[in-house]
This record gives sequence, C-alpha cells and structure tokens, in this order.
Amino acid sequence: MGESAAGKVPPLTIDGHWAFDYTYYAGDAASRFFAELANRRIMGTRCPQCLRVLVPARGFCDACFVETTDWVQVSPHGTLETFTILTTSFPGLPEPPLVVGYVMLAGASSAVLNFVDGIDLTDPDAAGTAMLGRPPVTARFKDVCEGRITDFVFTLDEPA
Amino acid sequence: MTGPAELAILGVGQTPYRRRHEGSTPELVYGAVRAALDHSGLEHRDIDLVIGGFAPDALAGENCPDKRFLPAAGAVGKWSMRINTGGTTGIAAAYAAMDLLEAGRGDAALVVGVERMAQARSVPAVFNSIFDPIYERDTGLSTVSMGALRATRMMQSWGYTAELWARVAERNFAHAASNPLAHIRTAYSVGDVLTSRMLAWPIRQLDACPISEGVCAVVIARTSAAARQRGRPLARVRGRATVTDTYNMGDRIGRREGDLVELLTLRMAAQRALGQAGLASAADADVVEIHAPFDHAETMAYAPLRFCAAADGPALVESGFGHRDGGGPVINPSGGPMAANPVGATALIRLAECALQVMGAAGERQVPGAATAVATGQGGSTQFSTCTVLSGS
Ligand SMILES: [Zn+2]
Repeated sequence: MGESAAGKVPPLTIDGHWAFDYTYYAGDAASRFFAELANRRIMGTRCPQCLRVLVPARGFCDACFVETTDWVQVSPHGTLETFTILTTSFPGLPEPPLVVGYVMLAGASSAVLNFVDGIDLTDPDAAGTAMLGRPPVTARFKDVCEGRITDFVFTLDEPA
Repeated sequence: MTGPAELAILGVGQTPYRRRHEGSTPELVYGAVRAALDHSGLEHRDIDLVIGGFAPDALAGENCPDKRFLPAAGAVGKWSMRINTGGTTGIAAAYAAMDLLEAGRGDAALVVGVERMAQARSVPAVFNSIFDPIYERDTGLSTVSMGALRATRMMQSWGYTAELWARVAERNFAHAASNPLAHIRTAYSVGDVLTSRMLAWPIRQLDACPISEGVCAVVIARTSAAARQRGRPLARVRGRATVTDTYNMGDRIGRREGDLVELLTLRMAAQRALGQAGLASAADADVVEIHAPFDHAETMAYAPLRFCAAADGPALVESGFGHRDGGGPVINPSGGPMAANPVGATALIRLAECALQVMGAAGERQVPGAATAVATGQGGSTQFSTCTVLSGS
C-alpha cells in the first residue's frame, strides 16, 4: 500500500546567489555626451523633425523615429521640474538622505535626472514642501569627471 | 468564420497573494492553472495555446524561467511562449492570447502570470537594475523613487496632498479586507498611512504596494468554443487596446502631447477600448480595477479614464469617489495592487478580478449586479498602458 500524498514535510529551501559582472557600451551619443562633460559642457542633440533638443544626448528621436542631427550645448542653469527625497536605506543603493530630480536646462526640450545637493534634509516634509515651486537650479561639475552622469550635480540657486 | 471572433473569459484560477509562498514555482503555477481549468469547465485537451507572463528574471533569481513554468501551465504539446513587459506582463500575455485566438490559431487559450519576487533578498537593488545603465542607474532610481518623481509633480501641477492620497489608500485597504486572496487585509486608516515610514518623499510605506508573490491564471476562448460550456457564466471581451510610450521620463516632462503625469498612453488606450465597447467614460462601468501600485498612481489614471479633468482629481478624491457603497463605479473591489502586487501577475489579476465581477463569481468582494468592468495595466517606466472592457453574458 502506498503512502498518502498528504504527508507533509517542512519546506526545503536552497540558497542561491546571482552576482554577474557586465560591460555596458554607452553608444556613440552617450560616449560623446560624457566626453563633453569633461569639458564642462552639457550637450543635447536636436531632432530634425520635432526640433526638440534631447538632453542627455541621444542618437535618434524615438517619437519621430529619425536620427538626430545637430549637437547643441545647453545652459547649466535650469528648473527643478520634479524631485524625490530618498529617505530609506536599501542594500545596493546610494545611502540616504538624498534628493534626485528632473531638471529642464535652458535650451533643452527634455529633462535630465540627477542628484540635487546641498539641501538641509533634517525634516524631509519641510524640505520637500519648500522645493515644490519648480525652483531654479544650476549644474555643478565635479573636479574630476569620470564619464558618468554623476560627473555633475544640481544645486538650488537660492537656499530652500 | 464570419467577422472577427468574439472572445470571452471562461475561467479564473488564483493562488492567494502573500509575501512569500513556500511551494516551488511550477507547483504554484500548476495549482492556479488547474483551478482556472476547473472554473472554466474546459479540460487540458481543449486548450490550444499557453501564454505565460513572468516579470524580471532577477527578482525570482531564475534566468529564462519560461523553461520550467510554461510546462507547469500545461504547455506540453501546445503552442506556447513567454512575455515580459514589466508591470503589464500579465495583461500583455492575455492580449497575445486574444490576438492569436482572433487570428484563428486555436479556440481556447490558457494565460498565466507568475511572480516569485520574495526569492530575491534585495528587491530594491534588483529594481534599480531595470533602469538605463548609462544615463540613469547611478542616481539610485528604483520603482519607488520613479513613482515619487511623479507624485511630486502631481502635487505641483494639481494640488494633490499626502492627506488626499491617504484617503485613496484607506479605501483600497478597506476593499481588500473583503478579499481573501489579498496580501494586505488590514483596514489601514488615513492616520496609519500618514504615519507610516517615509520611503521616498512624498511616498510612505502605506502609499505603496507590498512585495507579493502569487500566480493568476485565466482561460480565454472564442465564444464559438465557449458555447459548448452553455449555462456557465462568462466575461465577454468588449474592448481592448495597448499603447507604448518612450522609456525616457525626462522626455515626457512638459511634452506637448502629454506630460509625464498625464499618462498619454493610458489616455489613448482607454479612448480606443472604451470606444470599442461603446462607453463614453470608464465611470459608466460598474467596476474599475486600476493597475496602480501607489495611491498617487491611481489618481493619475482618473483623467485618462475620463472620470474627470486632471485638475479636478483632488476634488473627486474629496467626494469619496470609488467606494463600494458610493453609488458610482467601485474602484478596486479586490483592494487593487496596493493590497497585493505580484509584478508578473498583477495586470492579469486586474483582468481576472473584472471577469469574476461580471460573472457574479467574486464572492465576498462581489459588487452586486456588476455588468460591465474596466481593467487597466501599467508597465515599464509607466510606459506600457492597456485598457480592457469586459461585460457579462
Ligand atoms: Zn523628433
């Protein structure tokens, strides 16, 4: 006589680990964008059809589905279009508190995401509320550029 | 065949949605699919197509999981494939099945959406890896901060507040208390939401979905095949549409055609799907299941679904809109994704819950007399949108 299938044993678990290394190719447009950051210039590319200046630079416009043509330098000054304050620590992510936001730089048609530094985050609610009015910001370059988006950060033009 | 095939959902099978399941992925899939077949009255031999959805492989820690979960869904000997479009994975699988059925590839399809994200011990880090590694990943972007960037913009543009969103959360949790499958069944109050841990300002823990596991399965058939099941309730597919946006969120800031928080692709998908079904607004439905893992994201869908103009969203929340006893459409009678959000299944759950409602088979969470229901899906960087309209037989 066979045993009943209902006989229960504790669930067995087996450990797994998944940590692979990768090399990402940034592509033609981003390679040039990052090279220009070292020259303290933030560059966009213009779509010949919708005439938007895409920042950070892209090789093609995915809305019009055509290649971008001109390279355009945009201003380091812009508007903090939206942001969040990272308040909770997660393994593998940057240590909070931190502010990241999308900034529309003068001369650009699309916003670029980066850290916003120099804000007093003792009270996140107060800091967040103070920044709701799309405040002006400026890109500040790091002393040494290494070809990452974090080669620059934004700071508020006036303290929040 | 004369004219396009009419499609209907014949059966639904779901595991409970929980923080963690102790069974193996194939076992869980088998269980949900078995339940869906039993509910539909069809046998495994009646199924022609098996389409499976599974979200980022790294959440489950199993690369190309289709090898193991599709056979567990009954794929052996049949036409089968796996689909992944992030949050919309489950509904994208259902649409693929519907398209193949309409194309005459078979009479009946089994669709399954699967999530095993609790197998990952660092879910936020895995979610960071879904973003562009060149321009964005270094900023620590995760699904929560991606949502928060939208919430802040909605506060700026339309005057939403944490208090208003907490009322949306409170209603979703109240509804979930009647859903035995929901992961979160505590009826959290506005006060609980507003004092929960801040994750990424302005989003607190209870503004956001939990990490959930589970499997949802749905049997879809051409109504010619469904006719053999006479006497059983079914949910007819009256309209469906899906539209894709750019990945780049920055490109949608101030975009003429539709800003980041205007959900252009849901607006387009809803316009098409509602039009096919002859509805002027999703508010004309009895039930609307909105695929929104955050309370602010639910309100972002209000204008695209034609409940109100975007600027009037805060007043609509103020009015108590969407409650089970509110007189208007019932929003998320299941509790929605805020009460259970198994990523690879969640958009299919919205469809399954709408099907159960119009079949009159939703148990404790049944909305009495529900005849028409609308389900939405949102995936990628709020980039893949779907809208489906169902009605009862
Ligand atoms: Zn263009």
